[in-house]
Amino acid sequence: MNKKILCKDVMSHICESLGEDFDSPKCIAIKEHLVACPDCIKYFKSVEKTIELYKKYNCEFSVEVHNRLMDSLGLDDTIT
Amino acid sequence: MEEQKLIEAAKAGDKRAMTELVKAYEKTVYNFAFKISRNPDRAEDIMQETFFSMIKSLRQFDAKSKLSTWLYRIVVNHYLMWARKNRSEFIPIDNDDELYDNRSATDWQNIPANLLENKELRNILDTSIEKLSPEYRSVFLLRDVEGLSTEETAQITKLSIPAVKSRLHRARAFLRKDINKAFQK
Repeated sequence: MNKKILCKDVMSHICESLGEDFDSPKCIAIKEHLVACPDCIKYFKSVEKTIELYKKYNCEFSVEVHNRLMDSLGLDDTIT
Repeated sequence: MEEQKLIEAAKAGDKRAMTELVKAYEKTVYNFAFKISRNPDRAEDIMQETFFSMIKSLRQFDAKSKLSTWLYRIVVNHYLMWARKNRSEFIPIDNDDELYDNRSATDWQNIPANLLENKELRNILDTSIEKLSPEYRSVFLLRDVEGLSTEETAQITKLSIPAVKSRLHRARAFLRKDINKAFQK
């Protein structure tokens, strides 16, 4: 039986498979749905954006943090 | 000196080699500790504890995995210990119907690229990920943010590959939905 693919299935599969193998028969069906479904396209892009935002959000690694680390470990990086 | 030689020298007690190893990984460890703990001071503590552990246990490092993978595991372990001690409340994310709700598929096209300069957005990202339990948070950060493979993530978190995949897709869906809600306010 050819079961109709629902947006919920696509959304779940996007989340499961982002960065994984996209050649399975289910993936091919998902891709066909994705091309024609504006909601799923928006969803896919927003998942990608979520990951991108967390990737870019870093904390500055200052010289002071480095120096405290070296002190706490009893290491001296001024010796060459 | 290449990494393997540095590791051997550091194991033999060469302080300069140990210093080089610490310097090679300090930013990676600090940034990952920050991403998992969401707090610069806690990140610094976790980083120091991680390198203490590295120095103490480097002789047991057998080079079957990469040094970076080993360090990620130590960071995760130190963070999990902290989280257990502090017993924070996390949101359960087991209900697929709530995670994949069509109505939440709003358009993010208009979100500007430089939005991270905005303190409000950084607060939204912190608040959302802090709702994730440490186990989900670790998988999301290792796999998606740090770019490790599913296998490496499984090795670090001591989960099976299907368990990593399942946690990853739920974590992604939860974060996307929670951030989306905040954007709509």
